[in-house]
Amino acid sequence: MSDDNNKQDLKPQGIKGYLLPAVVVAFSFAVIYTVVVAIPNLPSLKSKPSEYAIEYIEKDKDGSIKRDSKTGKPVPNQAGRGRAIYAREGCFYCHSQFVRPQDRDFGSRVRAGDYANETPNVLGTSRTGPDLSNEGGKLPDEWHIAHLKDPRFYTPGSIMPSFSFLSDEELKDLVAYLQTLGRKRFDDPANRHIYEAYFPEADEAFWKASEHHKPNVDSAAAANAGAGIYRQNCAVCHGLNGLGNGPNALAMAKKPANFSDPKYKKYSNETWYWRVAEGVPGTRMPRWKLKLEPQQMWYLVAFLKTLPQDEKPIIEPYQSIDSAAWQSQSALPVGIVSNYEKLSAGAAKSGTGGSASAH
Amino acid sequence: MLSAIVWLVIGMGAGLLGALEFSFPDLTKGVAQLSFTRLRPAHVNTVAFGWLSMANVGACLYIIPALCKTKLFSEKLANFSCYLWNIAIGVGFITLANGYTEGREYAEYREPIDILIVIALGSVSYNLFRTLLTRKVKKLYVSVWYIMGAFFWMPIIYIVGNRTFVAMDGLNDGILNWFYGHNILGMWFTVLGVGIAYYMLPKMSGKPIWSHSLSMFGFWTIAFFYAPTGTHHLLQSPVPEWLKALAVIFSAALVIPVISVLVNFYMTMKGSWWMLTTNMPIRFVLTGAFWYLITCIQGPFQATRGINWYIHFTQWVVGHAHAALLGTFTFFVIGALYYGIQRITGKRIYSVRLVKWHYWLLLIGFTLFFLALTIAGLQQSVGWALGYPVAQWSLTLMPMWLVRSIGGTLMFFSSCLFAYNIYMTLREQPISSALEIKVAVPIEGDSN
Repeated sequence: MSDDNNKQDLKPQGIKGYLLPAVVVAFSFAVIYTVVVAIPNLPSLKSKPSEYAIEYIEKDKDGSIKRDSKTGKPVPNQAGRGRAIYAREGCFYCHSQFVRPQDRDFGSRVRAGDYANETPNVLGTSRTGPDLSNEGGKLPDEWHIAHLKDPRFYTPGSIMPSFSFLSDEELKDLVAYLQTLGRKRFDDPANRHIYEAYFPEADEAFWKASEHHKPNVDSAAAANAGAGIYRQNCAVCHGLNGLGNGPNALAMAKKPANFSDPKYKKYSNETWYWRVAEGVPGTRMPRWKLKLEPQQMWYLVAFLKTLPQDEKPIIEPYQSIDSAAWQSQSALPVGIVSNYEKLSAGAAKSGTGGSASAH
Repeated sequence: MLSAIVWLVIGMGAGLLGALEFSFPDLTKGVAQLSFTRLRPAHVNTVAFGWLSMANVGACLYIIPALCKTKLFSEKLANFSCYLWNIAIGVGFITLANGYTEGREYAEYREPIDILIVIALGSVSYNLFRTLLTRKVKKLYVSVWYIMGAFFWMPIIYIVGNRTFVAMDGLNDGILNWFYGHNILGMWFTVLGVGIAYYMLPKMSGKPIWSHSLSMFGFWTIAFFYAPTGTHHLLQSPVPEWLKALAVIFSAALVIPVISVLVNFYMTMKGSWWMLTTNMPIRFVLTGAFWYLITCIQGPFQATRGINWYIHFTQWVVGHAHAALLGTFTFFVIGALYYGIQRITGKRIYSVRLVKWHYWLLLIGFTLFFLALTIAGLQQSVGWALGYPVAQWSLTLMPMWLVRSIGGTLMFFSSCLFAYNIYMTLREQPISSALEIKVAVPIEGDSN
């Protein structure tokens, strides 16, 4: 090995020369950092639970902490028991519990004091599933229990393990815990604007606005306006002609709807509107009411009604983003122009049928 | 001199094989396993503490007396540590699989197991420090520094990090969790692994280390920079900003010890690279050094805020962690094991062909595994960054999970070959007594 070892001194060396001071210096790094990292944070964070911090301890009506008569330890409430199951089953390996500044759609931000009552921490370092900081109240208890038992039935693409091995009691506790998450943030009027979509009043207001902004859905002008919105938002999955063969569809496990299917003849205007607004759970169809205005969605409905539905659905190969149709964005989708004419001609002839003016 | 260690390492070898048995089956578990959340802590703790720590400790118990040209202070104590450690890991595996967990990442073992591990760790540390005091060489080789550093830091980190006696609330718990979680990587596995590689490369190539002062520079910078980096796991959480800044700066600065170590490794090998083709232990160590380059260049960059906000929460990080623990330090210590097993027992390795199969299966399996996780991580990053709901992109990760499972299967299979090979080697008759072996029997064969 190294030349140094050739000049070996065969007597035991013991603590000699620079060894002792060097060891002390080197090893004090670890100790110093431990102190630096751990100690200053103890008083500053521990003493300040924020108004959003969740209580996990059973309390009497007068606010005093209930204690176990044998051990003297505080008794956890239902959420506290659920939290223990959450930690025991390792939910935090795949679900984080802090909303980052850049995150969208996970609700309001978190602050240090929100975590004052949490131990062990379940912040998480990986998001194989969504963040759960503000999960409470979004979905009913029954959904959570059923989803924990059989995740893929409720969210088709999920890789979450099934927790059907938990007892009913444990599942109830766990769901009670999930429902407390972010609940205080949700109830704070200051955060109202973030959660608007989840309040019943907001839902009511939305449908009122929808009625108020409803254009004449049977007009060619509305369908024309809808065609543009369709091309911008829908065609990438549903295809330019609504055959469910857009470029994105190729990679999807749940294929987008093919609007040439005759079953869509049965759709009323309101059904179309509701489907567009609420999306399809478990697929990639988004809730468009979070992105589009009511009027825009009505225009879309007007356009969707013009798509041809015959005896059998038309099946065509998946469209490529390189194809000529996608290059010429100004052109209307094939077959749509004729349908406008059919519609407007039909309106002009007041219900005598549009077959004469086809093409 | 070496005979002093023979007993010990047979004990450690048994421990290793025992550890191998329950450590590697977990590598094959894909993400969609029914009880993934139970297997994950069992896997992490068993490979980290059962396999990698035990193998590293075994190697150190050989290297330190060899470098000090003395006997181990107490073989009895070392055997005691070995048995205790094995008991702790065995009990820990069973309890974790049954849901008895502390619920803190990397620190899942419950209190009684923590206490067992601390006693075992403390007794090994005590043993090695007493050995150091009876050394018969004046100047300490760099490996001694690295290894003794690890054995001083680890008990502290373990006791503080596991909070066996003190529990804390909220973000403090998270901060300490990652102080512990990152420092067992940095101030235990890294320091031990690099120490072992610093021993192996000059020993096997027969050349002195390229620069002793550079190696010492690497040791002191890692000692200085590593400890406060753990908070980079919580960069976007509401922990105090100054802690995050400290973590980012020190993480980025870790590029200094990394480069110094690698320059030293590569310069030591200058003119000896042909040994890769025939010498199996050195092939393992140099492959580990290659993955060390990859993982440790990733590390400082992904700890910076700009990259962290994009990469965090994804499988990229999982790939990075495996590149460190599996790609680098497992390769290092396997090299040391193949080298040491012949030196200590005086037996020829059972099958060189199996060693080669082990190497290639492990390398190919791990490369597939790493690439799959990295690509999956980038896909996830896009999903999180654009704010799409998980259900919209989770299916696109399916091919990556499959490739990862294939890589895991290859690695598991290679580890079975490894265990079989070592077992058969131990059953063979020694070709000479350990005392007579002055030069290691090189594991040589055709180059492939």
